[in-house]
Amino acid sequence: MKIQLKLYGPSKILSDKEIIHIEVPDNSNIDELRKVLSKIISKDNSKSNLKNLPKTAAFFSETNEIIYDNYKLKDKELISIIPPIGGG
Amino acid sequence: MDLHTAIVKSEEKKISLEEAKKFIFSENNGAESIFVGRVRNENSEKKVNAVTYDSHDQATIKSFQLICKDAKNKFDNNARIFLEHAKGYVPVGDISILIAVGSKHRDEAFKICRYIIEEIKHQSPIWKKEHYSQGGEEWLEGHSLRPKKNIK
Repeated sequence: MKIQLKLYGPSKILSDKEIIHIEVPDNSNIDELRKVLSKIISKDNSKSNLKNLPKTAAFFSETNEIIYDNYKLKDKELISIIPPIGGG
Repeated sequence: MDLHTAIVKSEEKKISLEEAKKFIFSENNGAESIFVGRVRNENSEKKVNAVTYDSHDQATIKSFQLICKDAKNKFDNNARIFLEHAKGYVPVGDISILIAVGSKHRDEAFKICRYIIEEIKHQSPIWKKEHYSQGGEEWLEGHSLRPKKNIK
């Protein structure tokens, strides 16, 4: 199945697009999405500065609630990746 | 309304100190505390030209409202609070964040201001990318919202 990932902050290094589509195994949860992201990043040397992102990022649902590692993803679901924050 | 929070797109508007002062003014209050965050021209020995701020706007506004309500509950329920954060490209010297608080007494006004800025740094989904004088740009590291026990 595919999920839609909306990019914020440093995760925008992954793509020029605001939303990317990521193939994950059926019935994946956030923990599995982290593994898929790790593989994507490790395949591309230009993205090496994102190597910690899969483990340090949080994820938000479409309703802007934080979703945790055991959250089951649905096909075509839109979620946001929230890299470590630092405003102010 | 005694609370104003906003994300201000830098290409549309600049954050205004005058607007903030006007908003927090009340004859009931004897103290005003204002925190202004500006883009600095140096970080980690690199000369900085500007910072681009990114934000998850809906979640940021939700966090701003929660933080300000918490601050009022903790220190002064009658405080008036103005909070704006910039989004987009902000050159050196321009305002990135403005927190203005009107309160009955100075102690509460100072404490609310301090509480809000520290909580924003730990709760609000905002990121900054520095642009350097010598060329190049870099997203700054931040504070993870993922529970620490899960980060291996």
